[in-house]
Amino acid sequence: MKPLIATAVFAILMMFAALTVKEKKSFTHFAAILMLGLVGLNVWELADYNRLLASAQASPDLFGKMLRVDNYALWFNVLMSSCSFFYILLVGRSIEKVGVHVGEYYALHFFILCGVFLLSTYNNLLILFLGIEILSIPQYILSGSDKRNLKSSEASLKYFLMGAFSTGILLMGIVLLYGAMGTFDIHGFNFYATGTLNIMGVVGVLFMLVALGFKVSAAPMHFWTPDVYDGSPTPFTAFMATIVKVSVFFAFMRLFMEGFANLDPYWKVTVLGTITVLTLLIGNITAVYQQSVKRMLAYSSIAQAGFMMFVVIGSNAMAMKGMIIYAVAYTLATVGIFGVLLKLKDYTYDGFNGLAKKHPFLALIASICLMSLAGIPLTAGFFAKWFVIAAALEQPGTFWLVIFALVMAAVSLYYYFKVIMAMYFKTGEPELITPVTTMDKVVMAIIGSAVIVFGIAPDMLLAWI
Amino acid sequence: MCNFLWLASTEGIGSYAPVLIQLLIAGAVVSLLMLLTHILGPKRKTKDKLINFESGIEQIGNARKPMGVKYFIVAILFVLFDVEVIFFYPYAVNFRELGTEGFLAVLMFVALFVCGFVYVIKKGALKWED
Amino acid sequence: MTQLVYLVPLFPLIGFLLNGLFWKSMPKKLAGIIGSTAILASFAVSLGIFFEVKNGAAAGQGIVHLFDFITVGNFKIPFAFMVDQLSAMFLLIITGIGFLIHLYSTSYMHDDEGFTKYFAYLNLFVFFMLLLVLGANYVVMFIGWEGVGLASYLLIGFWYKNKEYTNASKKAFVMNRIGDLGFLIGMMLTVYHFGTLSYNDFFAQLQGGIGAQTQNGYMIGSGMTNAIAICFFIGAMGKSAQIPLYTWLPDAMAGPTPVSALIHAATMVTAGIYMIARSNALFNLAPMAQNMIAIIGLATVLLAASIALKQNDIKKVLAYSTVSQLGYMFLALGVGAYVGSLFHVMTHAFFKALLFLGSGSVIHAMSGEQDMRKMGGLGKYMPITKFTFLIGCLAISGFPFFSGFFSKDEILAAAYAKNPMFYYLGLLGAMMTTFYMFRAYFYTFTGNFRGTEEQKHHVHESPATMTIPLIILAILSLVGGLVGLPEVFSHHHLLNEYLSPVVQNFDIHHLDHTMELTLMGIASAIVLIMMYVARVITRKEQFGEAKGLAKVLENKWYVDEIYDFLIVRPLAWKARILNNIVEQKGIDGGVNGLGQLVQWGSTRLKNLQSGQVGSYLFAMVIGIIIIFAIGIFGLLYM
Repeated sequence: MKPLIATAVFAILMMFAALTVKEKKSFTHFAAILMLGLVGLNVWELADYNRLLASAQASPDLFGKMLRVDNYALWFNVLMSSCSFFYILLVGRSIEKVGVHVGEYYALHFFILCGVFLLSTYNNLLILFLGIEILSIPQYILSGSDKRNLKSSEASLKYFLMGAFSTGILLMGIVLLYGAMGTFDIHGFNFYATGTLNIMGVVGVLFMLVALGFKVSAAPMHFWTPDVYDGSPTPFTAFMATIVKVSVFFAFMRLFMEGFANLDPYWKVTVLGTITVLTLLIGNITAVYQQSVKRMLAYSSIAQAGFMMFVVIGSNAMAMKGMIIYAVAYTLATVGIFGVLLKLKDYTYDGFNGLAKKHPFLALIASICLMSLAGIPLTAGFFAKWFVIAAALEQPGTFWLVIFALVMAAVSLYYYFKVIMAMYFKTGEPELITPVTTMDKVVMAIIGSAVIVFGIAPDMLLAWI
Repeated sequence: MCNFLWLASTEGIGSYAPVLIQLLIAGAVVSLLMLLTHILGPKRKTKDKLINFESGIEQIGNARKPMGVKYFIVAILFVLFDVEVIFFYPYAVNFRELGTEGFLAVLMFVALFVCGFVYVIKKGALKWED
Repeated sequence: MTQLVYLVPLFPLIGFLLNGLFWKSMPKKLAGIIGSTAILASFAVSLGIFFEVKNGAAAGQGIVHLFDFITVGNFKIPFAFMVDQLSAMFLLIITGIGFLIHLYSTSYMHDDEGFTKYFAYLNLFVFFMLLLVLGANYVVMFIGWEGVGLASYLLIGFWYKNKEYTNASKKAFVMNRIGDLGFLIGMMLTVYHFGTLSYNDFFAQLQGGIGAQTQNGYMIGSGMTNAIAICFFIGAMGKSAQIPLYTWLPDAMAGPTPVSALIHAATMVTAGIYMIARSNALFNLAPMAQNMIAIIGLATVLLAASIALKQNDIKKVLAYSTVSQLGYMFLALGVGAYVGSLFHVMTHAFFKALLFLGSGSVIHAMSGEQDMRKMGGLGKYMPITKFTFLIGCLAISGFPFFSGFFSKDEILAAAYAKNPMFYYLGLLGAMMTTFYMFRAYFYTFTGNFRGTEEQKHHVHESPATMTIPLIILAILSLVGGLVGLPEVFSHHHLLNEYLSPVVQNFDIHHLDHTMELTLMGIASAIVLIMMYVARVITRKEQFGEAKGLAKVLENKWYVDEIYDFLIVRPLAWKARILNNIVEQKGIDGGVNGLGQLVQWGSTRLKNLQSGQVGSYLFAMVIGIIIIFAIGIFGLLYM
């Protein structure tokens, strides 16, 4: 696992760079280069694995069966590190403005990616726990990194308190599962080992469900999300809402698909469906009333989590495809819209008034990203929703769930298009806090065109699975 | 199995019925009590009553004031390094069995440990005086 | 060469992008060169493809798969091109005539301020038209289909500052949309029943004939094939201007004349014929739809020809003539003479492009004047235009041994074999054709000049870039018929042999030679008689107020007015009612109510988000307990 080790090493490198380097800008450059290296390492790892696979030497198990790699997980890592790369290019300038410890911020990002890679390849509940913690703790710090801002400190504290609460629940679930199954290996779970259903195991499953649901901000464990996403420095919100969330979903799906495969499908649909309905309802309905685009995006991320719950419900081959497409579509679009948001001074809807007149390029990219989030055809978001719904429909009794989700998707049009309306049909003088550089334009153009290209040919993302 | 007999059965899911009942009762009691305190408790919202209690002395200024956390940081660092050092005990006990490989692993552990230490010192976290 | 087929649409696309993106800074000369060269390059590749296909090198399944366009579960729509005899023939027509018209346009449009834009649009049109004929499935065809509609819309309204012109472009767009809807429904029915939109797959399933099983497990019945075929035909009606959707084409003459020549005569309007010829496997199984096509085609021939008799605008005459000639092609499709229809597509492309460009040359010389009443005697000033226009008139009238003679003869013979009534009515149409074409010719090129002095002074022969295309097209109109000599003259019907792997005539009885010669004789005699009649009538040069039938004809049978009365006004009336009552009260009320419900819910839910960690945890725990309750309760049913 070269990339996994590399994330830790890169993070330490960043930390030590922070001790000696004074120039803020160089941190961003350094981080971008390291991130590019990480992408390269991931691609290398994938190619290497396939080469070994061809000569039948590849072994999926690593570190004494603690990790399990396959094409799918490695490809996911490639995509996530690439998204992180674009993320740094796009918001690096804003990260420099958050506070004085720029090097540390980047180091924390690399630590988070370490957790991401653990979550995509874990084969053992201990690694799942480790991954979740490695992923979460840097987020607690990042969300409080704007120390002089009360909202940021508040966000950090709230996130930490509630995160600790959910960690306890996660551990409780792992303990119960271990007690019931006698193993941490997710491939060793059998809920009918004794002939009858193992009730303790099922209670463990419910605990795991709640804890992971907390991390992906599924209702009713979502309460931290709006406050934390709203309070955290905006560039970090973009990271937390996208790559982190998507990776936890990846782990979530793998747990249910590989670990809890032999649970009754009706039961899974009932329990997961309840959470999905609540998440979609609360996310979409509450987003309608928000005044700030940033806070609206926080609720929208809850709503999107409701859709991503469908991959957990599906837990089949289609869901695996849906996971990849949704991950990329959602991440790109959200990073893109945050990239635009970061340029603006005023985060309310009014701040977007007349943006199309003054900065047509920003408005265009924002519109493409918002349309993708809303799931308009010819954007990646459309196929993302399409795949996850198709995956869920393969499970019994999901029909009404899907109908409900579509109604909620219609509601989501309201708050996404409200931004587009503000940009194109209202007049105003939007103020930028940072000028749009050529680099920004290039990255935004890449993101915008990727959203459209994947909306036309989503199969490109499925090349490796 | 969908009838009330499962409550009485002693095997399978039925044996957990008491747990469920207890859970429900616990939940009910908790919410009932919280509700009752809200409803029954007397509420007198006067200005004096809502003010922060500071030993009877009138409050001065804002509570949100920056203050030194030196001691706090040192304490946390102590806990961190203390816990890390604890790992040496099991290693010392198994020193012979683990052999060279174990030695190298611990060496790596110590190296990372030193990295953290260097970072902390360089950051000036242990400087008591400003 | 076949593998390089993607180059054919690529060149015009590049031309479009260059001209379209840099139209501000592009010098006129360069824009013309880019636009024309792109088409010439496509033509060169098309020629290579044609010879390869002709020699049978690419015989069989000439499918060039570019990439997977849409993949939905098991249903795949590849972005693939089909290179076979049929598409190669259309490639040649589109790029060949397209190039001549581009060349012609470089002079014709020379003084226009939108010169670069014009070439961008024109290249865009060629790109989509090539997609249309190259697609290996109906979806790619549909992309091209819609694309040419767009390009046509843009070019009809090219002089957008004139309100009437933009109205004409809107009319064309809307009329085409009606047809497109039919096409789309046909495509959906096809997917539903056959599970595919790829030609090869679809036609292979139809091979079994009535009663066979489709891929989706349906039995092919005549109801199903007729329904799909009629839907497709409705699509063709819109694009190829058949009754009742033809009224847009005469109005489309608002666009620049070379556009009329390329889009509204030679290529785009034949898309419907291409589509039906391509789907011949389907139409052969749908006799009802075929009858419908034949009858509508014939009705269009007569209606349009009769209107053309009394038109005074030279382009309007040609426009109605186009509608009428398209009617012949549909008549041929309806009676199963696919090759005859395609033959006529080809010859019509030659002589109609020639006539339009000729009229363009005249209009150019007359400084934009299109009314024939103000022309006359132009032959003296512009001999090349006059001579080539004459050739075009002879060809379209079916004067013996000109190209139109052979193609029209083939259609009429096939019509006679099906039903002699078709033949007689077709002949009536041919009579009218000869009359109105020569009426136009004599009014324009002979007699005395009737325009103003200033115009007379200005009249001149067009420059070489305009006359060279005319000459080339005139030669093609002369000899183009040789590829399809009837059986009486030669045993080798070249076009028939060439197209036979893709399209074959269906259910046509061969007439014996005496009969065929008799029919030809009758047709030729009629042409000569009508030419004489036209000469006699035009010599009077009277343009009085028309009366009786002539007035009806001059007003195009009042079709536009009838449509307005029957369709537009009731629709507008219904729309008002729907708008005022159903929409504002019912739907708006409902939608706004829903919106208010959502907002109300939003304010309620927002209050949950109090900001207090304690209340969050409390709510969370309650939620968790509910989840546990559902989870445990759900176990009872496991």
